[in-house]
Amino acid sequence: MKKLLVAFFVCLVFVAFAQQVIKIGAIFPLTGPAAATGVKIKYAVEVAQEIINNEYPEIELLLGKTAGLPNLGGAKIQFVFADHQANPELAMAEAERLIRNEGVVALIGCYHSSATKPASQVAEKYGIPFIAGSSSSAALTERGLQWFFRIAPHDGMETVFFFEYLKYLNQKYNANIKKVAVVYIDNEYGVHAAQMVKEKIKDYQADGFSLVADVKYPANATNVDIEVQKIKGAKPDAIFHASYIGDMTMFVKKYKEFNVVPKVVLSYCGGYQDPQFVVNLGKDADYFAGPNATTSALFKKMPILAKINELYRAKSGVDIDGPTLEDFASAIVIAEAINLAGSTDPQKILNVLKTTAFMAPYFVSGRIKFGPDGQNIYSASVMTQIFNGVYEAVWPEQYQTKEPAPQFPEWNKR
Amino acid sequence: MFLQILLTGVLIGSVYSLVAVGLTLVWGLMDIINFAHGDLMMISMYTVFWLYTLLNFDPFVSLPIAAGLTALLGILIYKFVIKRVVNAPGLMALLATFGLSLFIRNLAQFLWSPNYRFVGESILSGKRILLADLVIGLPQLVAALGSIAMTLLIALFIKRTKTGKAIQATAQSRDIAELMGVNTEKIYALTFALSGICVGVAGTLLSGIFPVYPESGAMYGLLAFVIVALGGFGNIWGAFYAGILIGLTEALGGFYLGTQFKYALAFLIYLLVLQFRPKGLFGW
Repeated sequence: MKKLLVAFFVCLVFVAFAQQVIKIGAIFPLTGPAAATGVKIKYAVEVAQEIINNEYPEIELLLGKTAGLPNLGGAKIQFVFADHQANPELAMAEAERLIRNEGVVALIGCYHSSATKPASQVAEKYGIPFIAGSSSSAALTERGLQWFFRIAPHDGMETVFFFEYLKYLNQKYNANIKKVAVVYIDNEYGVHAAQMVKEKIKDYQADGFSLVADVKYPANATNVDIEVQKIKGAKPDAIFHASYIGDMTMFVKKYKEFNVVPKVVLSYCGGYQDPQFVVNLGKDADYFAGPNATTSALFKKMPILAKINELYRAKSGVDIDGPTLEDFASAIVIAEAINLAGSTDPQKILNVLKTTAFMAPYFVSGRIKFGPDGQNIYSASVMTQIFNGVYEAVWPEQYQTKEPAPQFPEWNKR
Repeated sequence: MFLQILLTGVLIGSVYSLVAVGLTLVWGLMDIINFAHGDLMMISMYTVFWLYTLLNFDPFVSLPIAAGLTALLGILIYKFVIKRVVNAPGLMALLATFGLSLFIRNLAQFLWSPNYRFVGESILSGKRILLADLVIGLPQLVAALGSIAMTLLIALFIKRTKTGKAIQATAQSRDIAELMGVNTEKIYALTFALSGICVGVAGTLLSGIFPVYPESGAMYGLLAFVIVALGGFGNIWGAFYAGILIGLTEALGGFYLGTQFKYALAFLIYLLVLQFRPKGLFGW
């Protein structure tokens, strides 16, 4: 009996002094059609967990210096992964399970905007914070949710970014870009992006921009011949693309065949940002451009990012890409918010998220601050353009790894 | 510009025709809707892609291999799926091929990931013919001409050869054909092989211009149904003309009304024909 009592006390002491583990739910497409991306994001979140829970003095992040969360007595963070398989219903069910059964204090996810939507609704119902890293549909932050935050710029911000870049090209290189065409897939992503172009171009009419073509094509198109002929007929200086990798590649092939030579082609987050774009098209991928949260070319300019990438590369075998970095940021930000709140009380975490400007030295913007609608007000993107198969950062100037090309060369002169 | 659009329509339509000819053969012979038809095309595209990636085969070298493989798959589908349901109520065969289609697609995704791939370089890629203002992409042109030639061959085979006549006889009445000494079992298998060859060739011809991914064949398969219904079930030349008609509708309608409507127009024509001429435009 005595022995038993001693053992019991030993256990009790052990439990009392054991470090607290704080669970955060991470819902991503780990299997299914987007598994390749989901697994990469999981690696990035694991890197974030490592940085938070261990000492990485060389990575100058708030939680890199200490092991665990200093304000909670060195408590460790544990990301509990769940798989939504690109299925919104599953995302919702997993969010519910993580909150009720696993007792997570916050959620991050879900890559697909369509999955983020219902999952964050569950978080709202239970009153715990949800931070989306890479989901970009503007609709997410238009719902008036209290507990929802998003790091990636949405398509409205991207559109403004496009026009500002065109203005820069016109001013610096005398590019004389005026006529804009928008080409987009007929789904929520494409249609919303096109809507943003039509809305934002009104603010840029004074700069001489006008919309000359609006080409919507069906999802699952068997060909894009007619679309490209319409674009060719409108003779745009700039083409804005909201396309996925398959259709985007078909467009490039047809641009070449019909000798469509615009000055710039800018792509919303989609097919262009997929490294497969360069693999599929080789030299024909050159000169296409689009915003990206990061690119390998930036690593030498941003040492902290390079160190994060080192850890990430060791797991994944590839360099960290834009969306993955955004989800990495969501993991870091939620841990920092819990640390600053000094508690796992959701209301306290919420207050921190709503009021704090977080340092984000891995982004070119350097900061993350959520506006009243939960949207990160700093756009964490650089304009990239492909040169010889490499995504180079071309704008803003302070992050430039290469000067932009303000004019597509003729297809036969490449 | 008008000419260019017309030409685009005809070129696209020719490939649709070939996919539809394969489908109409089976439909005409057995009254079976093969939902997995488009997926066989996807398999052919993957065959070309892998032969290109791993062994550096040009798609034209791969053509007989891909067509042979899809022909073989056609026979296997007949032996292991269709044969078991051929005498069951019509819905059974439909459900069986539908299940098969899902199986093939998901298997492709499992084996080869959902990534979009392209056959990068072939002897045709990037080549084009310029006629005044007209631009004709060589891969597209060869795909169209190849499809027309293949359709012609199939039509000749059915009309002129003894085996072709046996196929026709079996289509008209299986029992009487058997009484006349036709091995209908073999005829069925052969028809599935022919149908496989059609999509095998179509898939190869398309591999240079269309991305290869597990859903590659889905839209082509769907359009093929429309075309078969338009052309009259089992009518090879009907399917051919209907294919061109759908290609033209897509091109002209897409250009003048808005590209987002191009398939809607094709399906609208289908609905109208079903209403006013259920046997199809060229049916009898």
